[in-house]
Amino acid sequence: MIFLALSPFAVTMLAVFTTLALVAMYFLRLRHRRMMIASSMLWNRVLQRQEERSLWEKLRRILSVILAVIIGLLMVFAVARPEIAALTGSTGRTMIVMDTSPSMQARMSDGRTRWQHAVDMANTLVDSSGSGTEFRIVDTSGQYDSAYTSDAGEAKQAIRALRPMAAPPRFPESEDSSTQTWFISDGVAIPAVPQSARKLLVYEPVRNFAITAFEVRSMASAPLQYEAYVEVSNFGNDARRTTINISEGGPGRIRREVEIQSRQSYRETFDLSKFDGGGIRATIQTDGDALATDDIAYTYLPLKKKTKVLLVTKGNAYLQTALRLDSFVDLSVADPKDYREDPANDAYVFDDFAPAIQPSKPALIVGIQNGVPNVSWLPVPNGTVEKPTFSKWDDNHPVMKYLSLHDVSIAKAAAIDPSNVTVLAASGETPLIAASPVPGAGARWVLLTFNLQSSDFPVHESFPLFVDNALAWFGRERLALRRTTGVVEVPIVNAQITGPDGKAVSSRAYLDRTVFEARDPGLYVAIKDGQRQYIAVNLMNRQYSNVNHPVLNWGSEIKPAARFLKHEVWFYLLFAAVLLLGLEWFTYHRRITL
Amino acid sequence: MPLFDDEFRKKLEYLSIISKRVFAGHFRAERRATRRGTGVEFADYRQYVPGDDFRHLDWKAYLRLNKLILRLFEEEEDLPIYFFIDSSQSMTYGNPVKLDYARRVAAALAYIGLANLDRAYMAVYAEKIRAELPPQRGKGRIFKVFRFLEDVTAGGETNARESFKTYCTDARRRGLAVVISDFMDPAGFQAGLDILRHFRHDIFVIHVASHEEVEPVLKGELVLVDSESNVSREITVTPALLTDYRTEFKHYCDEFEAYCSKYQLGYVRTVTDFPFEDLVLKVFRQGRFLK
Repeated sequence: MIFLALSPFAVTMLAVFTTLALVAMYFLRLRHRRMMIASSMLWNRVLQRQEERSLWEKLRRILSVILAVIIGLLMVFAVARPEIAALTGSTGRTMIVMDTSPSMQARMSDGRTRWQHAVDMANTLVDSSGSGTEFRIVDTSGQYDSAYTSDAGEAKQAIRALRPMAAPPRFPESEDSSTQTWFISDGVAIPAVPQSARKLLVYEPVRNFAITAFEVRSMASAPLQYEAYVEVSNFGNDARRTTINISEGGPGRIRREVEIQSRQSYRETFDLSKFDGGGIRATIQTDGDALATDDIAYTYLPLKKKTKVLLVTKGNAYLQTALRLDSFVDLSVADPKDYREDPANDAYVFDDFAPAIQPSKPALIVGIQNGVPNVSWLPVPNGTVEKPTFSKWDDNHPVMKYLSLHDVSIAKAAAIDPSNVTVLAASGETPLIAASPVPGAGARWVLLTFNLQSSDFPVHESFPLFVDNALAWFGRERLALRRTTGVVEVPIVNAQITGPDGKAVSSRAYLDRTVFEARDPGLYVAIKDGQRQYIAVNLMNRQYSNVNHPVLNWGSEIKPAARFLKHEVWFYLLFAAVLLLGLEWFTYHRRITL
Repeated sequence: MPLFDDEFRKKLEYLSIISKRVFAGHFRAERRATRRGTGVEFADYRQYVPGDDFRHLDWKAYLRLNKLILRLFEEEEDLPIYFFIDSSQSMTYGNPVKLDYARRVAAALAYIGLANLDRAYMAVYAEKIRAELPPQRGKGRIFKVFRFLEDVTAGGETNARESFKTYCTDARRRGLAVVISDFMDPAGFQAGLDILRHFRHDIFVIHVASHEEVEPVLKGELVLVDSESNVSREITVTPALLTDYRTEFKHYCDEFEAYCSKYQLGYVRTVTDFPFEDLVLKVFRQGRFLK
């Protein structure tokens, strides 16, 4: 037995003091009232007979003292918070680390998942620990780390709040070496586990088929034609047949029934030419599959549509060539004199020209220093800069992706005020490439403050890429980003995230990205300035799906110690003290004790 | 304050004290004596012997039998009645006080005795005989008895044995001894009564108890102080203890009664809240102490 609140010496001293004080008080209590009676002759006989009658009569005088001392000592020990490990389990700090890797969702032979077993085990651990034990509930995915609490209910609530999710596994560190660490896992996708951690295994071999790859890509021969690459793996211990289905909201349907050997994968590329586009889904159906999360995968098939672009120029071979070579562009050319806004166009490219009224569709304006009149929707040139060089550019902006502007030479460029535009690239003196500043205030535009004729930019390899990036930024659909379930990062600042059900998903904005939690696979959408970026969130992780491959062999399962008392010992001591107090009160007033 | 009123006194005049034995008296009175003498009640015949009073010769028997037969008559003498009144400190308890009750009983009985021309002796005792009244005879002496009783004060421990021994060894004639006491004698109730028995008195015991002694109302932690000896004793009064006390008191009374029965002593127990008149007029008569 140990004492959690007081030192053994303090407990001893307190016990001695309490005993002495109670005995002293007991004798003080026996101050009797004097009463004259006619004769004590008969009383003497009665008392003498009573004293002779039994040992009990002698004992009961001291019984009150004994009861009082017992009550006092019970209270002293209660204050000292004793711990008897055999009765209440050991008290201390316990960290319960729950393996929240997706493989924990594998269903076992009893119909319950490994996760459910793990939760039961954790609850048993909480119940069997000492009542004064402080628990810290942590997971391996970094989603949850509770503060230490001695409230078993709170600890269980924390355990209930956890859910398996895909995230790089990590084992949390404990603050001190005295903390007892329990790790509950199936041993499949686990981080490095410290030697001191006690492990509880929830593992049983199961069957599992998984979609380990699903992506859409353009065909090399026809950029507007797409194909889907699917890989299905059998992580079970026997060969089985499975049915692969690829479907979309439209008429596109593909079905394939295959047999896959144990520990083998099936790979196939499917032609999606009959698919209209939009979200598509791949599923597999296998008998007795234990893990459902990896049986479904999503991606996005861009709509098959060319961008109708009107190039307004007096003649620019570079631009025309770059646009004509872009397989996503349906180009038409017009002279500035003949410019009329046509709703059929998807975007405009103005070369040494800018209309007085901003077009309703996005526009790429190339050069504003030569004869471009001042228009209200574009920055007004306030001079020229001779031989500017690209000193900085924003790699993260979609227009500037994959561009290298180091050796671009420019003869002269218009100087504009950088304060009202989004500067994409600039020299030390002026922005050289700028974009529309305020989201939602008219259509997008990208502006080159220099003329292509006064620069060697058109002959650089970055030029067609720049043009394509600009037109893509103007609204061309893109392939979906591929992410796994769990914490998802999107390289778009302050984007609004919509889940597969169309409802907004809470997200957190960082300097260069937006982060949200995708608990379930599905097609998520990040919306920024009216632009949509699809995010295909799938499990698709061989490590998680390989549910029959425990990394560690932990041997026999370690059972947590059972405890007999639910509360700490002090609770029962205090209860006993109160009970005895009531008993003493009752016996005293009934004159059973004196 | 008079010990009883005139109306009650008139009722007493119709009563007389019964003694189981016949004692020799001093004076002529209304009580039958062992001696044959000049009374009016015929007792027996016997042969005439010279010297007899020939006025008592039965001449009719002489004519029939030709023998001188003498008619004997019972002598009627007075009865010596000794009243022993316990005046120890313990007699000051009760409501009414036991001593007052004893005084009234003694006065009533004394009046009955005086009215029947018996000689009433009064002795007040505690650790010794503290006061005594010379023998009184005749109703006219009742006021002297009253005054004597009214002057009695309580105090001291009970020692009936020594008190009675002292009193009886003074060449007293045998008679009826009426002991009125609570019998809280440390030496036991037998001690004093054995002395009276030794002197062959006809004994009548009036055991006076207070209600508090029969049904004590005590509670809690107490130090009981004996009023006579001032000896104290700590007790914790429990229901069980009270029950034990009541049992003990009953046992004491039963033992007392058995003793009196064994030696043919008259015994009446009363509590002070029992009406005094009822005690005298009913209980004593039922107990064949009065007729």
